[in-house]
Amino acid sequence: MKRDKKITQLAKKLVELSKDNGVVTEAKVGEVLAGLKQVKHRHHLTVLKAFLVYLRREVALQTAVVSTPAALSADALAAIEAKFSSVYGRTITAVIKQDTSLIAGVRVRVGDDVYDASVSGRLQRLAESVN
Amino acid sequence: MKAIFITLLLALSLPLGLYSAEDLHVDSHDAASVAGEHAEQGVISELAGNFGITWPTLIAQMVNFIIVAFVLYKFAVKPIAATLDERQQKIADGLQYAEEMKTQLAEAERERAEKIKEAAAQAQRILTESREQSKEMIEQKTQEAAAQAEAIIRKASEATELERQKMLSDVRQEVARLVVATSSKVLARDLSDTEKQTFSDSAAKELASAGN
Repeated sequence: MKRDKKITQLAKKLVELSKDNGVVTEAKVGEVLAGLKQVKHRHHLTVLKAFLVYLRREVALQTAVVSTPAALSADALAAIEAKFSSVYGRTITAVIKQDTSLIAGVRVRVGDDVYDASVSGRLQRLAESVN
Repeated sequence: MKAIFITLLLALSLPLGLYSAEDLHVDSHDAASVAGEHAEQGVISELAGNFGITWPTLIAQMVNFIIVAFVLYKFAVKPIAATLDERQQKIADGLQYAEEMKTQLAEAERERAEKIKEAAAQAQRILTESREQSKEMIEQKTQEAAAQAEAIIRKASEATELERQKMLSDVRQEVARLVVATSSKVLARDLSDTEKQTFSDSAAKELASAGN
């Protein structure tokens, strides 16, 4: 239990070290992994697993997954990044994900937050409002 | 009884005395003719002479009569009187007993009448109470039945209303589902890629500008 707590704290510190100006970058992550390889922690596998979990969580928090059935213009994508960066107070990177079930429009997911501006979502909300 | 007997004896003794006096008169009639010169004797002697009474005979008759009366009284009248008294006593007792029985009968009759009257009153009271109780029970049961009927009707109405609401809700849901499904299919089929991209750009900009 005590060991898990220490590993968790180490993983969170490694995630912080992987940030460059508050943004997780690939270069920084490579440096952290190289450092871990040199240190050769006794529970390195467990540390790596915890690091991966917290790193994915951090990446998810810094990524806006924009689901859309069709291509999206660069202006719209930039507007979304700027909007959510200002909302969350950190740099948000938008990633496009194609989803034809939306019919038209976009659905943005940042972490656990979902912003729906799709046709299917609107129809669904319309159906729910009728009930 | 004794007085009656004495009176009877005197009544019987009078003819006997008269008979004795008549005999004495016959005897004394000859003597009267002999001694006519004694006419101016006393009134009592004259009367005795008229009735033919001689004192020795009279006394002897009286003694005989007393003896006979005593014997009769002792051996005949007294037992008869005792028997009569006993009979009279029995009759009186019987009459008294009959009177008592009559009184008791009347009392029993009166008690019977009172009991019958009381029983009739009690029966009437019980009947009245039973009628009142039955009336109250009927009213109570009627009210309960009405309340139950009202509750059943209310529950049925509520159930019907709930069923209707549920049915309407189901219909709404089904209609909404059909509308959504149809609209989705129609939009997915009819919207071109350009229209979809235009709509998506518009939605993204709308999302980006929301809250500004």
